[in-house]
Amino acid sequence: MSFTTPYFSLPKFTYYKPDNLTDALTLLKQHSGKARVLAGGIMLVNMMKERMVFPEYVIDIKGIDELKNIEITQRGVEIGSAVTATELQKSDIIREKCPSLAKAASYMGDKILQNSVTIGGNISIGMPSTDGLPALMSMDALLEVKNIERTRIMPSSDLVVGIGKTSLGTDEMITKIIVPYRDGLNGTYAKFLNASEVAIATAAVSYTVSKGKLRVVVGAISAKPYYFDESLLGWKWDGTIDENVRSVVEVIGSSIKPMSDAVASSEYRKEVSKILVSRALRELFGGE
Amino acid sequence: MIKLRTITMMVNGLSREVNVDDNELLLNVLRDKLGVTSVKAACWRGECGLCTVLLNGVPVKSCMTLAVEADGKEVVTAEGLYSDERARKLQESFVEHGAMQCGFCTPAFVVTSHYVLSKNPEIEGEELKKELSGVICRCGTYYQIYDAVKDARKYYKQ
Repeated sequence: MSFTTPYFSLPKFTYYKPDNLTDALTLLKQHSGKARVLAGGIMLVNMMKERMVFPEYVIDIKGIDELKNIEITQRGVEIGSAVTATELQKSDIIREKCPSLAKAASYMGDKILQNSVTIGGNISIGMPSTDGLPALMSMDALLEVKNIERTRIMPSSDLVVGIGKTSLGTDEMITKIIVPYRDGLNGTYAKFLNASEVAIATAAVSYTVSKGKLRVVVGAISAKPYYFDESLLGWKWDGTIDENVRSVVEVIGSSIKPMSDAVASSEYRKEVSKILVSRALRELFGGE
Repeated sequence: MIKLRTITMMVNGLSREVNVDDNELLLNVLRDKLGVTSVKAACWRGECGLCTVLLNGVPVKSCMTLAVEADGKEVVTAEGLYSDERARKLQESFVEHGAMQCGFCTPAFVVTSHYVLSKNPEIEGEELKKELSGVICRCGTYYQIYDAVKDARKYYKQ
Protein backbone atom coordinates (compact mmCIF):
# COMPACT_ATOMS: atom_id res chain seq x y z
CA MET A 1 0.00 0.00 0.00
CA SER A 2 1.50 3.26 -1.07
CA PHE A 3 0.67 6.35 0.91
CA THR A 4 0.87 8.62 -2.08
CA THR A 5 -2.18 7.00 -3.64
CA PRO A 6 -5.59 8.64 -3.37
CA TYR A 7 -7.62 7.90 -0.28
CA PHE A 8 -4.53 7.43 1.91
CA SER A 9 -2.92 10.76 1.13
CA LEU A 10 -3.66 14.31 0.14
CA PRO A 11 -2.72 16.12 -3.05
CA LYS A 12 0.10 18.69 -2.81
CA PHE A 13 -0.77 22.12 -1.48
CA THR A 14 0.74 25.02 0.41
CA TYR A 15 -0.60 25.58 3.92
CA TYR A 16 -1.18 28.97 5.49
CA LYS A 17 -2.34 29.70 9.02
CA PRO A 18 -3.11 33.42 9.27
CA ASP A 19 -3.82 34.78 12.77
CA ASN A 20 -6.19 37.54 11.68
CA LEU A 21 -9.10 37.90 9.30
CA THR A 22 -7.51 40.55 7.05
CA ASP A 23 -4.56 38.27 6.26
CA ALA A 24 -6.89 35.35 5.60
CA LEU A 25 -9.07 37.38 3.22
CA THR A 26 -6.00 38.82 1.48
CA LEU A 27 -4.67 35.31 0.85
CA LEU A 28 -8.08 34.19 -0.36
CA LYS A 29 -8.18 37.11 -2.83
CA GLN A 30 -4.59 36.61 -3.96
CA HIS A 31 -5.14 32.91 -4.67
CA SER A 32 -8.77 33.27 -5.69
CA GLY A 33 -10.05 30.04 -7.25
CA LYS A 34 -6.98 28.07 -6.21
CA ALA A 35 -7.42 28.27 -2.44
CA ARG A 36 -9.78 26.55 -0.03
CA VAL A 37 -10.58 27.53 3.53
CA LEU A 38 -9.81 24.87 6.15
CA ALA A 39 -11.63 24.98 9.47
CA GLY A 40 -12.53 21.62 11.03
CA GLY A 41 -11.28 19.88 7.91
CA ILE A 42 -13.79 17.04 8.06
CA MET A 43 -15.24 17.73 4.62
CA LEU A 44 -12.23 19.34 2.97
CA VAL A 45 -9.68 16.72 4.04
CA ASN A 46 -11.96 13.89 2.91
CA MET A 47 -12.68 15.61 -0.40
CA MET A 48 -8.95 16.04 -0.98
CA LYS A 49 -8.30 12.39 -0.10
CA GLU A 50 -10.85 11.29 -2.65
CA ARG A 51 -9.34 13.73 -5.17
CA MET A 52 -12.62 15.58 -5.56
CA VAL A 53 -10.85 18.92 -5.04
CA PHE A 54 -7.25 19.96 -5.67
CA PRO A 55 -6.63 23.27 -3.94
CA GLU A 56 -3.15 24.69 -4.46
CA TYR A 57 -3.43 26.64 -1.23
CA VAL A 58 -5.15 25.73 2.01
CA ILE A 59 -5.94 28.56 4.40
CA ASP A 60 -6.45 27.39 7.97
CA ILE A 61 -8.75 29.79 9.83
CA LYS A 62 -8.55 28.09 13.23
CA GLY A 63 -5.97 30.61 14.38
CA ILE A 64 -8.35 33.56 13.96
CA ASP A 65 -9.87 34.36 17.36
CA GLU A 66 -12.73 36.55 16.15
CA LEU A 67 -14.21 33.59 14.24
CA LYS A 68 -14.53 31.58 17.44
CA ASN A 69 -16.86 33.84 19.43
CA ILE A 70 -20.49 33.38 20.38
CA GLU A 71 -21.99 36.66 21.55
CA ILE A 72 -25.25 38.57 21.88
CA THR A 73 -25.34 41.93 20.11
CA GLN A 74 -28.20 44.18 19.01
CA ARG A 75 -28.34 42.20 15.74
CA GLY A 76 -29.08 38.98 17.62
CA VAL A 77 -26.93 35.98 18.49
CA GLU A 78 -23.69 36.16 16.51
CA ILE A 79 -21.80 32.92 16.00
CA GLY A 80 -18.30 32.89 14.50
CA SER A 81 -17.99 30.51 11.57
CA ALA A 82 -15.15 28.54 13.20
CA VAL A 83 -17.16 27.66 16.32
CA THR A 84 -17.18 23.87 16.70
CA ALA A 85 -20.19 21.59 17.16
CA THR A 86 -19.00 20.75 20.67
CA GLU A 87 -18.82 24.45 21.56
CA LEU A 88 -22.33 25.02 20.17
CA GLN A 89 -23.74 22.29 22.40
CA LYS A 90 -21.89 23.55 25.47
CA SER A 91 -22.78 27.21 25.02
CA ASP A 92 -25.54 28.52 27.29
CA ILE A 93 -26.37 31.23 24.76
CA ILE A 94 -26.96 28.69 21.98
CA ARG A 95 -28.90 26.30 24.20
CA GLU A 96 -31.21 29.08 25.36
CA LYS A 97 -31.55 31.27 22.27
CA CYS A 98 -31.03 28.81 19.40
CA PRO A 99 -32.26 25.42 20.70
CA SER A 100 -32.71 23.87 17.26
CA LEU A 101 -29.07 24.63 16.43
CA ALA A 102 -27.84 23.15 19.71
CA LYS A 103 -29.76 19.96 18.91
CA ALA A 104 -28.57 19.90 15.28
CA ALA A 105 -24.96 20.25 16.48
CA SER A 106 -25.36 17.03 18.46
CA TYR A 107 -25.97 15.22 15.15
CA MET A 108 -22.92 16.57 13.28
CA GLY A 109 -20.86 13.37 13.11
CA ASP A 110 -19.87 11.49 16.24
CA LYS A 111 -18.67 12.93 19.54
CA ILE A 112 -15.00 12.99 18.50
CA LEU A 113 -15.62 14.62 15.11
CA GLN A 114 -17.78 17.23 16.84
CA ASN A 115 -14.60 18.59 18.44
CA SER A 116 -13.42 19.46 14.91
CA VAL A 117 -16.60 20.15 12.89
CA THR A 118 -17.33 23.87 12.58
CA ILE A 119 -20.66 25.49 11.84
CA GLY A 120 -19.20 27.45 8.91
CA GLY A 121 -17.70 24.33 7.35
CA ASN A 122 -20.85 22.32 7.91
CA ILE A 123 -22.98 24.72 5.87
CA SER A 124 -20.54 26.09 3.32
CA ILE A 125 -19.71 22.89 1.43
CA GLY A 126 -23.29 22.84 0.16
CA MET A 127 -23.94 19.15 0.75
CA PRO A 128 -27.60 18.17 1.31
CA SER A 129 -26.62 16.26 4.45
CA THR A 130 -25.72 19.43 6.38
CA ASP A 131 -27.26 19.58 9.85
CA GLY A 132 -26.50 23.24 10.45
CA LEU A 133 -28.35 24.77 7.51
CA PRO A 134 -31.89 23.46 8.22
CA ALA A 135 -31.54 24.56 11.86
CA LEU A 136 -30.32 28.02 10.82
CA MET A 137 -33.02 28.43 8.17
CA SER A 138 -35.69 27.53 10.73
CA MET A 139 -34.52 30.54 12.75
CA ASP A 140 -34.31 32.81 9.65
CA ALA A 141 -30.59 33.22 10.32
CA LEU A 142 -28.42 35.59 8.29
CA LEU A 143 -24.89 34.97 7.12
CA GLU A 144 -22.13 37.55 7.16
CA VAL A 145 -19.98 36.89 4.10
CA LYS A 146 -16.72 38.75 3.56
CA ASN A 147 -14.06 39.22 0.97
CA ILE A 148 -11.21 41.68 1.35
CA GLU A 149 -13.18 44.56 -0.17
CA ARG A 150 -16.67 44.24 1.21
CA THR A 151 -19.02 42.61 3.68
CA ARG A 152 -22.45 41.38 2.67
CA ILE A 153 -25.28 39.95 4.69
CA MET A 154 -27.41 37.25 3.09
CA PRO A 155 -30.27 35.04 4.27
CA SER A 156 -29.12 31.51 5.12
CA SER A 157 -31.73 30.23 2.66
CA ASP A 158 -29.77 31.82 -0.25
CA LEU A 159 -26.53 29.98 0.49
CA VAL A 160 -26.99 26.69 -1.34
CA VAL A 161 -27.69 26.74 -5.08
CA GLY A 162 -27.12 23.08 -5.93
CA ILE A 163 -25.49 19.91 -4.64
CA GLY A 164 -22.01 20.96 -3.57
CA LYS A 165 -22.62 24.45 -4.97
CA THR A 166 -23.04 27.64 -2.98
CA SER A 167 -23.49 31.29 -3.83
CA LEU A 168 -20.14 32.12 -2.20
CA GLY A 169 -17.55 33.74 -4.47
CA THR A 170 -14.12 32.13 -4.75
CA ASP A 171 -12.62 34.97 -2.69
CA GLU A 172 -15.39 35.00 -0.10
CA MET A 173 -15.94 33.22 3.16
CA ILE A 174 -18.64 33.05 5.82
CA THR A 175 -17.35 34.89 8.87
CA LYS A 176 -20.44 34.98 11.07
CA ILE A 177 -23.88 33.55 11.47
CA ILE A 178 -26.43 35.98 12.84
CA VAL A 179 -29.58 34.60 14.43
CA PRO A 180 -32.01 37.52 14.79
CA TYR A 181 -33.16 37.87 18.36
CA ARG A 182 -36.74 36.73 18.91
CA ASP A 183 -38.51 36.66 22.20
CA GLY A 184 -39.53 33.19 23.32
CA LEU A 185 -37.80 31.36 20.47
CA ASN A 186 -37.94 27.62 20.88
CA GLY A 187 -37.20 24.76 18.55
CA THR A 188 -35.88 21.31 17.97
CA TYR A 189 -34.23 19.13 15.35
CA ALA A 190 -34.84 15.55 14.25
CA LYS A 191 -32.76 13.34 11.99
CA PHE A 192 -33.17 9.88 10.52
CA LEU A 193 -30.08 7.92 9.51
CA ASN A 194 -29.62 4.70 7.60
CA ALA A 195 -27.45 1.87 8.94
CA SER A 196 -24.23 3.48 7.71
CA GLU A 197 -25.22 6.77 9.35
CA VAL A 198 -26.04 8.66 6.18
CA ALA A 199 -28.96 11.06 6.56
CA ILE A 200 -32.18 10.03 4.86
CA ALA A 201 -34.04 13.12 6.03
CA THR A 202 -33.79 15.82 8.68
CA ALA A 203 -36.36 18.21 10.10
CA ALA A 204 -35.76 21.45 11.95
CA VAL A 205 -38.59 23.28 13.66
CA SER A 206 -38.41 26.69 15.33
CA TYR A 207 -41.26 28.81 16.65
CA THR A 208 -41.94 31.87 18.75
CA VAL A 209 -44.91 32.08 21.00
CA SER A 210 -45.13 35.84 21.28
CA LYS A 211 -44.99 36.75 17.61
CA GLY A 212 -46.69 33.58 16.45
CA LYS A 213 -44.01 32.45 13.99
CA LEU A 214 -43.53 28.81 13.06
CA ARG A 215 -40.86 27.54 10.70
CA VAL A 216 -40.42 23.98 9.52
CA VAL A 217 -37.39 23.10 7.42
CA VAL A 218 -36.90 19.67 5.86
CA GLY A 219 -33.31 18.88 4.92
CA ALA A 220 -31.15 16.12 3.38
CA ILE A 221 -33.80 15.25 0.79
CA SER A 222 -32.79 17.65 -1.98
CA ALA A 223 -29.98 20.02 -2.92
CA LYS A 224 -31.60 22.80 -0.91
CA PRO A 225 -33.60 22.36 2.30
CA TYR A 226 -37.36 22.94 1.99
CA TYR A 227 -38.63 25.89 4.02
CA PHE A 228 -42.22 26.34 5.26
CA ASP A 229 -43.77 29.03 7.45
CA GLU A 230 -46.98 28.97 9.48
CA SER A 231 -49.21 30.35 6.71
CA LEU A 232 -47.96 27.76 4.18
CA LEU A 233 -48.45 25.00 6.70
CA GLY A 234 -52.00 25.95 7.65
CA TRP A 235 -50.97 26.10 11.28
CA LYS A 236 -53.64 27.38 13.71
CA TRP A 237 -52.29 28.60 17.03
CA ASP A 238 -55.65 27.95 18.67
CA GLY A 239 -56.05 24.49 17.10
CA THR A 240 -55.26 21.17 18.74
CA ILE A 241 -51.89 19.53 18.17
CA ASP A 242 -53.45 16.60 16.31
CA GLU A 243 -55.27 18.72 13.81
CA ASN A 244 -52.21 20.94 13.29
CA VAL A 245 -49.86 18.00 12.78
CA ARG A 246 -52.29 16.45 10.31
CA SER A 247 -52.46 19.65 8.28
CA VAL A 248 -48.67 20.16 8.36
CA VAL A 249 -47.94 16.59 7.28
CA GLU A 250 -50.42 16.91 4.44
CA VAL A 251 -48.88 20.16 3.19
CA ILE A 252 -45.35 18.77 3.46
CA GLY A 253 -46.32 15.51 1.76
CA SER A 254 -47.77 17.35 -1.22
CA SER A 255 -45.04 20.02 -1.57
CA ILE A 256 -41.75 18.14 -1.31
CA LYS A 257 -40.10 16.27 -4.16
CA PRO A 258 -37.21 14.37 -2.54
CA MET A 259 -34.29 13.05 -4.59
CA SER A 260 -33.71 9.35 -5.21
CA ASP A 261 -30.17 8.07 -4.77
CA ALA A 262 -28.20 5.09 -3.50
CA VAL A 263 -29.17 5.99 0.07
CA ALA A 264 -32.96 6.09 -0.28
CA SER A 265 -35.74 6.41 -2.81
CA SER A 266 -37.82 9.54 -3.22
CA GLU A 267 -40.94 7.87 -1.79
CA TYR A 268 -39.11 6.59 1.28
CA ARG A 269 -37.56 9.99 1.93
CA LYS A 270 -40.98 11.59 1.69
CA GLU A 271 -42.52 9.25 4.28
CA VAL A 272 -39.53 9.68 6.62
CA SER A 273 -39.74 13.48 6.28
CA LYS A 274 -43.40 13.49 7.26
CA ILE A 275 -42.71 11.33 10.30
CA LEU A 276 -39.74 13.44 11.38
CA VAL A 277 -41.73 16.66 11.12
CA SER A 278 -44.60 15.28 13.17
CA ARG A 279 -42.16 13.92 15.77
CA ALA A 280 -40.46 17.28 16.06
CA LEU A 281 -43.78 19.14 16.36
CA ARG A 282 -45.05 16.74 19.01
CA GLU A 283 -41.81 17.08 20.94
CA LEU A 284 -42.36 20.84 21.08
CA PHE A 285 -46.11 21.11 21.41
CA GLY A 286 -46.96 17.89 23.25
CA GLY A 287 -49.27 15.12 22.14
CA GLU A 288 -48.31 11.50 21.66
CA MET B 1 12.14 19.72 -4.92
CA ILE B 2 9.88 19.00 -1.98
CA LYS B 3 9.73 21.86 0.46
CA LEU B 4 9.47 20.58 4.00
CA ARG B 5 8.56 22.52 7.06
CA THR B 6 9.83 21.81 10.57
CA ILE B 7 7.17 21.49 13.21
CA THR B 8 7.53 20.98 16.95
CA MET B 9 5.03 18.95 18.90
CA MET B 10 4.95 17.77 22.48
CA VAL B 11 4.32 14.08 21.86
CA ASN B 12 3.54 12.09 25.01
CA GLY B 13 5.53 14.50 27.15
CA LEU B 14 8.57 14.72 24.87
CA SER B 15 9.27 17.67 22.61
CA ARG B 16 9.68 16.26 19.10
CA GLU B 17 10.87 18.14 16.04
CA VAL B 18 9.95 16.68 12.70
CA ASN B 19 10.14 17.70 9.05
CA VAL B 20 6.81 17.38 7.32
CA ASP B 21 5.24 18.24 4.02
CA ASP B 22 2.16 20.50 4.14
CA ASN B 23 -0.09 17.72 2.88
CA GLU B 24 0.95 15.07 5.40
CA LEU B 25 -1.63 13.74 7.85
CA LEU B 26 -0.91 13.75 11.56
CA LEU B 27 -1.65 10.01 11.54
CA ASN B 28 1.16 9.28 9.06
CA VAL B 29 3.64 11.51 10.85
CA LEU B 30 2.92 9.94 14.23
CA ARG B 31 3.17 6.39 12.96
CA ASP B 32 5.84 6.57 10.26
CA LYS B 33 8.08 9.44 11.36
CA LEU B 34 7.75 9.37 15.14
CA GLY B 35 7.10 5.65 15.71
CA VAL B 36 3.97 6.16 17.79
CA THR B 37 2.25 2.96 16.71
CA SER B 38 -0.63 2.79 19.20
CA VAL B 39 -2.36 5.19 16.81
CA LYS B 40 -4.01 2.84 14.35
CA ALA B 41 -4.81 3.46 10.69
CA ALA B 42 -7.98 1.81 9.49
CA CYS B 43 -10.73 3.64 7.62
CA TRP B 44 -8.82 6.83 6.65
CA ARG B 45 -12.01 8.86 6.51
CA GLY B 46 -12.93 9.77 10.07
CA GLU B 47 -15.48 7.04 10.60
CA CYS B 48 -13.82 4.41 12.76
CA GLY B 49 -11.96 6.61 15.26
CA LEU B 50 -9.02 4.21 15.69
CA CYS B 51 -6.56 7.05 15.04
CA THR B 52 -7.96 9.19 17.87
CA VAL B 53 -5.36 11.23 19.76
CA LEU B 54 -5.66 14.01 22.31
CA LEU B 55 -4.63 17.27 20.67
CA ASN B 56 -4.18 19.88 23.38
CA GLY B 57 -6.27 17.60 25.59
CA VAL B 58 -9.20 17.21 23.20
CA PRO B 59 -9.82 14.01 21.19
CA VAL B 60 -9.49 14.43 17.43
CA LYS B 61 -9.15 11.91 14.62
CA SER B 62 -5.58 12.14 13.39
CA CYS B 63 -6.47 10.91 9.88
CA MET B 64 -8.55 14.07 9.50
CA THR B 65 -5.89 16.39 10.90
CA LEU B 66 -2.94 17.83 9.02
CA ALA B 67 0.41 17.39 10.75
CA VAL B 68 1.07 21.13 10.35
CA GLU B 69 -2.11 21.86 12.31
CA ALA B 70 -0.48 20.19 15.33
CA ASP B 71 2.55 22.51 15.23
CA GLY B 72 3.21 23.86 18.73
CA LYS B 73 0.55 21.64 20.25
CA GLU B 74 0.53 18.76 22.67
CA VAL B 75 -0.29 15.28 21.38
CA VAL B 76 -1.16 12.47 23.77
CA THR B 77 -1.71 8.86 22.68
CA ALA B 78 -2.22 5.64 24.63
CA GLU B 79 1.56 5.43 25.26
CA GLY B 80 1.49 8.85 26.92
CA LEU B 81 -1.21 7.87 29.38
CA TYR B 82 1.34 5.72 31.23
CA SER B 83 2.33 8.67 33.41
CA ASP B 84 -1.25 9.03 34.67
CA GLU B 85 -2.13 6.74 37.60
CA ARG B 86 -5.87 6.91 36.81
CA ALA B 87 -5.31 6.00 33.17
CA ARG B 88 -3.21 2.98 34.19
CA LYS B 89 -6.10 1.77 36.35
CA LEU B 90 -8.45 2.40 33.43
CA GLN B 91 -6.29 0.16 31.24
CA GLU B 92 -6.27 -2.52 33.94
CA SER B 93 -10.04 -2.29 34.00
CA PHE B 94 -10.10 -2.99 30.24
CA VAL B 95 -8.04 -6.15 30.90
CA GLU B 96 -10.17 -7.28 33.85
CA HIS B 97 -13.37 -6.94 31.87
CA GLY B 98 -11.90 -8.53 28.73
CA ALA B 99 -12.87 -5.40 26.87
CA MET B 100 -11.19 -6.46 23.62
CA GLN B 101 -10.95 -9.33 21.25
CA CYS B 102 -8.33 -8.43 18.62
CA GLY B 103 -7.31 -5.30 20.52
CA PHE B 104 -6.92 -3.07 17.48
CA CYS B 105 -9.40 -0.48 18.76
CA THR B 106 -8.24 -0.61 22.39
CA PRO B 107 -5.73 2.31 22.30
CA ALA B 108 -8.38 4.59 20.81
CA PHE B 109 -11.00 3.50 23.34
CA VAL B 110 -8.55 4.01 26.21
CA VAL B 111 -7.63 7.51 25.02
CA THR B 112 -11.27 8.48 24.43
CA SER B 113 -12.58 7.06 27.70
CA HIS B 114 -9.73 8.71 29.61
CA TYR B 115 -10.86 12.05 28.21
CA VAL B 116 -14.54 11.33 28.92
CA LEU B 117 -13.88 10.24 32.52
CA SER B 118 -11.55 13.14 33.31
CA LYS B 119 -14.27 15.50 32.09
CA ASN B 120 -17.13 13.82 33.93
CA PRO B 121 -16.41 10.90 36.31
CA GLU B 122 -20.14 10.52 37.12
CA ILE B 123 -21.12 9.73 33.51
CA GLU B 124 -23.18 6.60 32.80
CA GLY B 125 -25.91 5.04 30.67
CA GLU B 126 -26.83 6.46 27.29
CA GLU B 127 -24.64 9.51 27.79
CA LEU B 128 -21.52 7.39 28.27
CA LYS B 129 -22.39 5.24 25.25
CA LYS B 130 -22.85 8.36 23.14
CA GLU B 131 -19.53 9.80 24.28
CA LEU B 132 -17.77 6.58 23.22
CA SER B 133 -19.66 6.38 19.91
CA GLY B 134 -16.80 7.96 17.94
CA VAL B 135 -14.76 4.76 18.06
CA ILE B 136 -15.81 1.53 16.40
CA CYS B 137 -14.99 -1.99 17.63
CA ARG B 138 -15.46 -4.51 14.81
CA CYS B 139 -15.23 -7.47 17.20
CA GLY B 140 -18.23 -6.06 18.99
CA THR B 141 -16.92 -5.96 22.56
CA TYR B 142 -18.95 -2.84 23.32
CA TYR B 143 -20.64 -4.31 26.41
CA GLN B 144 -17.30 -5.16 27.97
CA ILE B 145 -15.86 -1.76 27.03
CA TYR B 146 -18.86 -0.05 28.59
CA ASP B 147 -18.46 -2.07 31.79
CA ALA B 148 -14.72 -1.44 31.90
CA VAL B 149 -15.15 2.31 31.57
CA LYS B 150 -18.05 2.43 34.00
CA ASP B 151 -16.03 0.45 36.53
CA ALA B 152 -13.02 2.76 36.11
CA ARG B 153 -15.04 5.84 37.06
CA LYS B 154 -14.04 5.33 40.69
CA TYR B 155 -10.40 6.13 39.95
CA TYR B 156 -11.36 9.47 38.41
CA LYS B 157 -13.62 10.53 41.26
CA GLN B 158 -10.80 11.01 43.78
